[in-house]
This record gives sequence, C-alpha cells and structure tokens, in this order.
Amino acid sequence: MKTKLILIAFFISGINLLQAQDSTQAQIQSIKDEIAIIKKPVQTHFMLRGFTQFGFDASDENINFNMTSFNPVLLWRHGDRFLIEAELEMEYMSNQFEINLGYANASYIVTKGLVVRAGKFLIPFGTFGERFHPSWVNKFASQPLGFGHDGIAPSGDLGIEVRGGFQLGSSKLNYSLYAVNGPRIKDGTEEPEEAGMLMFKNETENNNNKAIGTRIGILPLSNSSLEIGLSAYYAAPGSSHSPFEGDPLNEDLNYENVTAMLTAVDLSYVKIISPLMGIIDIKGQYSLSNISNAVYYNPEDTSRYTFTNESSAYYVQMAYRPALAENQILKNFEIAGRYSAYTTPVGSLWADNKSQITVGLNYWLSWRTVIKANYQINESSMSGGHGMSTMTGGNGSMFQLHIAAGF
Amino acid sequence: MKKLNYILGIIFSVFISVIALQSCTTSKAVITGKSGAQLWGENCVRCHNSPSPVDFTDEEWKTIGLHMQVRANLTKEETEKIIEFLSSAN
Ligand code: HEC
Repeated sequence: MKTKLILIAFFISGINLLQAQDSTQAQIQSIKDEIAIIKKPVQTHFMLRGFTQFGFDASDENINFNMTSFNPVLLWRHGDRFLIEAELEMEYMSNQFEINLGYANASYIVTKGLVVRAGKFLIPFGTFGERFHPSWVNKFASQPLGFGHDGIAPSGDLGIEVRGGFQLGSSKLNYSLYAVNGPRIKDGTEEPEEAGMLMFKNETENNNNKAIGTRIGILPLSNSSLEIGLSAYYAAPGSSHSPFEGDPLNEDLNYENVTAMLTAVDLSYVKIISPLMGIIDIKGQYSLSNISNAVYYNPEDTSRYTFTNESSAYYVQMAYRPALAENQILKNFEIAGRYSAYTTPVGSLWADNKSQITVGLNYWLSWRTVIKANYQINESSMSGGHGMSTMTGGNGSMFQLHIAAGF
Repeated sequence: MKKLNYILGIIFSVFISVIALQSCTTSKAVITGKSGAQLWGENCVRCHNSPSPVDFTDEEWKTIGLHMQVRANLTKEETEKIIEFLSSAN
C-alpha cells in the first residue's frame, strides 16, 4: 500500500516536473523569438556616398582651377537581392557648371550568375567607362583620349541588361548583354563640322531601333589577377526622316540605313609582387568604331562629301605602388604612366590624329583619397579646330595637381 | 537588317553557351578552398585600392557587397565569402 502511494506521488511530481520543464522551455523559446525579432537583419539599407576631384591645370597659355567631378552616389538595398544605385555628375570646368545624371538603375539578383538590371546604367563597353572612370579609381587627373563623354563609345544609357559572373574550373567568366536607346548620328544640320559623328547623349530617341551590346570577360588565372574582355555594340543611329525635309536641294539625303558597329578589347592585370615590395597595375583598352558610309552636306561650300567613317581610341597604362614597403610614407606613393591615342576619320570635317603621354606621381592619403601630380604632353594633327584645348588634347603640355576623394 | 540578325544571333548563342557552361561547371573547389580573406585580397584590388574591414559597418558591407557583385560581375560565392570576412574582422 505504502509503496503504491509513493509510486503515485512520484508519478504526480514527475508530471509536474515535466510541465515545469515545458513552461520554462516555452519561456526560453519566447525570449529567443523576441531576440530574433530584435536581431533580425534590417531589410532595407540606404547609403549616400560619392566622390570628388578638384585642382588646378597649368598649360603654356593659362592656369585654371577646375572641379572635374563632384558626384554624389546613392545606394539603396532591399533584402540581399535588390539594389538601386544612382549617381549625379557635377562638373565645374573653365567657368562652366554642368550637371548630369550619371546613372540611376535597379538591379535584381535572379539566381547565382544572373543579375537583371534596368534604368540608366554605365555601359560595359570595355572597362574604362564602367570601372575606372571615378576620379578616386582613375590613377590620373585626366581621362584617356576618346574615353571621356565626347569619346567614340557610349558611357551611360537607358535600357535593360542581364549580367553576371561565375566560376569556370579554376578560371572565372563574366558576361553582360544589354539593349539601350542608343546613339543618334549627327547629320550636320546643327553642327556641320561634326557630320557623321555619333552622339551618345541622346535623351530624345529619334528612331525605333535600339542599340544592343555585350561584353564577355575572362579571368584565366586562379588568382584573378588577369582579366581580358571583348565587347561589341551595334546601333542604327539614323532617323527614318531626312533631316533636310523641305529643302529641295538636299531632301534626298537620308541616314535611315546607317549602321554603327563598335568593338573593344580590354585588359587588366593587378598583382602584388613581393620581390618588388609592391603592386603592379596594368590596364588598357582598344576601341574601334565603324559607321557605314553616308553622304553629308557641307553648307560652307554647298558641297557633298563622303568618307570612311572609322575611328579608334586606345590607352595603355601602368602603375606601381610600393605598398609592402616598411616606410609609412613611401608605401603611399605611386608612380604611373599612360599613353593614349585617338584617331577620327580622314575626310570628315573632324579628322584628327591625337596622342597623349601622361606621367603621374600619386600620394594616397587613404584607400580612396589621393593627391595626383600629372605631367601631360599632347599632340594633334589638327591645330586649333573645334573643341580643341589642352584638356581634350590639342598641342602642348600641361601640369595638373588634383586631389580626388571618395566619401 | 541582315547584319543585325546575324549579330543578334551571335550574341544570343554566346549568351546561351555561357549559361550552359555555367550549369555544367562542377569545380567549385577553387572558391571553396579559398578563405574570404584571400578572396578579398585577390579581388578587391583589381579596380581600386582595397578597403579594410574597419572602413564600414556590417550593414554597409552588405550593401557594398551587393553593389560590387553587380558592378564587378563577381560570383555569388566569392562575394558572400568576402563580405562574411569583412563583417567578421571589423
Ligand atoms: C571590376 C572593378 C571592381 C572590383 C573588382 C571591385 N570594385 Fe569596388 N568599386 C568599383 C567602382 C567602379 C566603384 C565606384 C562606383 C561608383 O561610384 O559608381 C567602386 C566602389 C566601391 C566602394 C565605395 C562604395 C560603393 O559601393 O560605391 C567600396 C566600399 C568598394 N568598391 C569595395 C569593394 C570591395 C570590398 C571589393 C571586393 C569584393 C571591390 N570593391 C571590388 C569597382 C570595383
């Protein structure tokens, strides 16, 4: 009897114990839940960053203080797949202030190796425009000939893109494929001396043809130090109407069938070389623009003319920074050299053959704040001419002292 | 127009083969074998000086990671490993 009672008591207290355990477990769980809610990663995140560059340029003719860039960049992330990026480009050069929308787009990571992007984005035609143009990335105070906004290739445009990167054995491959509004051809009605040029700043579309393009990049070495890229870009830049409509003399001139094919190769090699106590950085790009032949009108002598509409621009640069040096000051110095050349079509009214040598000494105050001292020698086969200055590559030499900072 | 079709054809086939190649790749070993710190050292200097972990907070690193994954066409695995490293070392 006694044992029975003890057993029952045992049983009851056992149940009680279990219940007590249950309730503490429930409590622990609810505390855990609460902590999880508090610790839950923020779904959205906003960042305002950007970069600026200013300084002075001294040539044989003049000394100018310039602000070559003040570019606020806005980043907004939702979750871990959705990103909006936007950039304003402000420039104050030769007493002129300009403001442009560099880019404004939304990207969504669909799956590994596939990102979809829409809006205004930097065009991955080669690498300079998309990767190396920000002033704190560019090792020089100036941009290579033909690679700025008035260059032969697009910088930013409105459209849609798929892109991504993935591992391929011990190499890596990346791609980008896009359709954008595309350029317009200058027919000479506004600026006769620029007839036949492509105008990439084309906010109001003049036709239904979009431009399409692609870049494939390969990083063959397993340490990712080398990347080689191939790009192509195709556009039909003419409008279906003759720009001379209503002018009986030239009404037959039409640019509807003009096509433009642009191609580029790019290369980048960045490697820490221990025996040299530093980083070697080599970059380059060669861009070629082929526009089909068309007949243009020269209002100055009322003549008609045509030419092989082919332009090219390239640059190669090399930099060395003794980043592994023990000396705290020495390790922040960097020496850099660049050669660039830009050839525009013979027979056009903007025919030219420019080349430029730039040597630079940089001092890095932080990972993205740098003082750049450049000496640049320009040569041009066309002296004077439209838009020629030492900045864009007339004849003569120039000294530049700039400070560039990312913030 | 013929030329356009031709070019579109080339681009399309390149795209398809790229995607096809991707799905065939079996060798993840290269990335898996490398630490986040090593991938950071190899990849983040390719375009600009490499920022150090202390330059940004964890939330900021996530945003920057996504930004760089898109801009630099980095692979998802390497980006994740690098961001994990940067957020653990700041
Ligand atoms: C292919 C070139 C490239 C590579 C590789 C690259 N970056 Fe960048 N990075 C850029 C460019 C270009 C910008 C400037 C973006 C702008 O302002 O438009 C930038 C900007 C940044 C910024 C400033 C904030 C921002 O998001 O704009 C940080 C921080 C940064 N990169 C970190 C990294 C890290 C970390 C890595 C390695 C995972 C990396 N980058 C690899 C090209 C690159």
